[in-house]
Amino acid sequence: MTQLYSTESGRLFHAGKICIALAGLPGRGKTHLSVSLTRYLRWLGVKTHSFHLGDYRRASAVLDLHHELFMPEPEEREANEMRNRIVDECVNDMLNFFEKDKGQVAIYDAVNALPEDRLKLSQKFLSANIQVLFIESSVTDDSIIMRNMESAARSSPDYVNWDYEKAYKDYSDRIKFLTPYYQEMGTKDAENSLSYIKFINFGDRIELHNSNYGYLINKVVFFLMNSRIKLGSVFFARCYKNSLEYTQDPPLDDEGDKYARNLTKTLLNHLAKEGKAYAKHLNQTSTERPKVQREYSVEERHPAAGVDGVDENSLVVWTSVKKRTMETTKYFTEKGVNIRHRIQLSQKNPGVVGGMNEVEIEKKFPSEYALFKQDPYHHRFSRAELYHDLAIKIEPLILEMERMSGDILIIADDTVLKVFYGYLMSCSCYDIPSLNFSTDEIIEIRFNAYSNSARVIPIESN
Amino acid sequence: MPVYSISHVENVRICVVMVGLPARGKSLIAQKIVRYLSWLSIKAKCFNVGSYRRNLAGDRPVDASFFDPKNKDGLEVRQEAVNSAIRDMMSWFMDENGVVGILDATNSTRQRREQILRLCRENGIEPMFLESWCDDQELILQNIADVKTTSPDYTNRNSELATDDFLKRIAFYEQGYETMDKDVDNSLTFIKLVNVNSQIILNRIESYLESRIVYYVMNLHIKPRSIWLSRHGESQYNLTGQIGGDADLSERGMRYAKRLPELVLKSLGEENKHTNLTVWTSTMKRTQQTASFLPYKKKLQWKALDELDAGECDGMTYEEIEQKFPEDFKARDDNKYEYRYRGGESYRDIVIRLEPIIMELERQENILIITHQAVLRCLYAYFMNVPQEESPWMSIPLHTLIKLEPRAYLTLVTSIKADIPAVSTYKEKGTSQLGETETMTSKSRDIIRNSKDLA
Repeated sequence: MTQLYSTESGRLFHAGKICIALAGLPGRGKTHLSVSLTRYLRWLGVKTHSFHLGDYRRASAVLDLHHELFMPEPEEREANEMRNRIVDECVNDMLNFFEKDKGQVAIYDAVNALPEDRLKLSQKFLSANIQVLFIESSVTDDSIIMRNMESAARSSPDYVNWDYEKAYKDYSDRIKFLTPYYQEMGTKDAENSLSYIKFINFGDRIELHNSNYGYLINKVVFFLMNSRIKLGSVFFARCYKNSLEYTQDPPLDDEGDKYARNLTKTLLNHLAKEGKAYAKHLNQTSTERPKVQREYSVEERHPAAGVDGVDENSLVVWTSVKKRTMETTKYFTEKGVNIRHRIQLSQKNPGVVGGMNEVEIEKKFPSEYALFKQDPYHHRFSRAELYHDLAIKIEPLILEMERMSGDILIIADDTVLKVFYGYLMSCSCYDIPSLNFSTDEIIEIRFNAYSNSARVIPIESN
Repeated sequence: MPVYSISHVENVRICVVMVGLPARGKSLIAQKIVRYLSWLSIKAKCFNVGSYRRNLAGDRPVDASFFDPKNKDGLEVRQEAVNSAIRDMMSWFMDENGVVGILDATNSTRQRREQILRLCRENGIEPMFLESWCDDQELILQNIADVKTTSPDYTNRNSELATDDFLKRIAFYEQGYETMDKDVDNSLTFIKLVNVNSQIILNRIESYLESRIVYYVMNLHIKPRSIWLSRHGESQYNLTGQIGGDADLSERGMRYAKRLPELVLKSLGEENKHTNLTVWTSTMKRTQQTASFLPYKKKLQWKALDELDAGECDGMTYEEIEQKFPEDFKARDDNKYEYRYRGGESYRDIVIRLEPIIMELERQENILIITHQAVLRCLYAYFMNVPQEESPWMSIPLHTLIKLEPRAYLTLVTSIKADIPAVSTYKEKGTSQLGETETMTSKSRDIIRNSKDLA
């Protein structure tokens, strides 16, 4: 029998093969989109790969950077030939990914400026029985484009070892060259038959056309709805005493209480050091904290009422519903931090091997143990949850986390933390079971357009 | 005990304002959202302006001319109806801690929406407009047929006259209709569904719960389909009265498994006998054994369909639990929905893990689900809108195939009993003895018993 989300070795049986082709001028965050979608889909167990046309261009261009090459219709014959060759090479690699590597979703990261090219691409994949969805990223807010240009000049592979000013100018020239060529999707009738999503100002508006897409694409849309450029951090802390049997639910003991106090102190000190404005108020011992809340008039938009993480300058704590994790948050409660209890954060159910170490498991279930060693992420001992089951269970929390712009602290069992960390740091599901979290550290994850970063904050003891 | 849900909702306020001409499926969408959220314990309520209007209009005959924009009297009544509905919604937010309120009306002019917007913002809420736009005549006529048979405006009216009148009413609304526009209404939070999800515009969705509602609406479809539910066949543990475990089927349970393909065919009927079903089971032996004789190729295991985890009580009989944990035994009877077994789960916990299943079920077509008593109760509660106080007490007998057919405003239930005896696993409140008695009190329990029996 298959699972809903299958392993990396096979495809989801009811989702088919999909090519997600991006479209949009440079500086519209296409690469960021392809990176974050790839991360999300892989974590769901969908075999996904992104193909950046830029990588192919860099690999084959004689002159390292040549504006003609970016143009959809280069005037020079030589440049035109080279461009077509690069595109063909990239498209062939995608087809091979579906046919030879059992890929399920290929993400094609390119400008795709012309309706003719987009239609041609669509026909090519449709004839190979691959569904095509375009996501066009467009930005009407100039400040977003400026920010993207700065980030590209600093970190794009095109500008390694470039002087920043020069890189910035070059990138902005590139956009200027291309702008007159770019034709927005849906302005020509010929494109009416295409399935496409217009993703405007990073999710401010999303328009879906021919949108009876099916399971995976609906998930992609849901992800896009919640995907934001994140400013806050996510912190992970283990709950105290983790060697307990699954069914036991004792309160915190004295040691645990000390842990809770030190955890609170360490995190609040860290946040204050980082210059988070809200941390200052939290550290005041006075019970009266100034509430900064302005009145909105009926003429302007109101912020979402009562929602966590609307304010980038805020902290919320998520814990499971076990007594010891709830009690671990009590010093945060005293400081006025919002605590949210989530059943989905309960530890992985070990099933029949609960309370046993590996040696004991091997002795009692030798054949099962061998299977487990082969694939610890997907192997199910009788009545146990898989890491994969945890992933399905916490997926709504992952999406909510993507949406929130403030800081979040997650206090949970290490089995749960592994799955969160695996998502944020794009770990392969084969590595997730062997991740390790220590009880004397907090892990901080910071978000970044290309890849997120993790760092360790030792918990102060006294 | 803290209250938790798919999303933290303690202070969240969302006002969904429906927009669209009559017969565009607005009420259907509004009601489904309410049912879905209520099932997840998110307090949701629909405020239907039409019923306010009917109350205000009193004995005045309401035909199409009432909706003529030139009819001053009609305009006044309709204006007053909107105001009262919003007033009631705001006091519901305040006094009853409502979370998602839905204002179900046409709200077809920008002026009307502007007025609602101001009223909402005065109460600190940014409304979310949800428009259903449709120009597919076939769909509209189908909806009109639905409305005619269900709307209180047309009870005891000649069917043809009703259609005629309703089309006139729509024509009046069309005169002033202003659809949500991505440029003009750019500053608002809105969703526009064009011809049942063939095009969707999502503008400024600002919270997770809003996105959740949108995702749900995106997964809805209106193709006719059925969902079959069955418990696993009688298991060894059922015979001994033990709960939980991962036991094999009993000899009678095995007989049920062998009979099941025949029951499904009978339920499908002669003309649909080649319909291909997808079979979902839990990860436990007893549901997989029950599914093992079904001829369908697509069979899926879901961990989320596993039986309620009884924690430390796993493998015990109810008598043993009553002896060993008398307080727990009583606490569970007092509030069965919230009670969480030591180290195990509650019904509320099951609902949360079933949420992805419901989302997937809405999207799918014909599905047969073989699962366990508590899980079945929760799934059934979603489709039949059974309140939380009653759902854990419903009796769902072994060796019975239940068929649900979701329709626009209700779900039809039929059941077929396999003629194979099985023990009863039903436990009445206040006793540790199994079995159903004549004096049982709970009401919704009878829904299945009274459903049309095809056997």
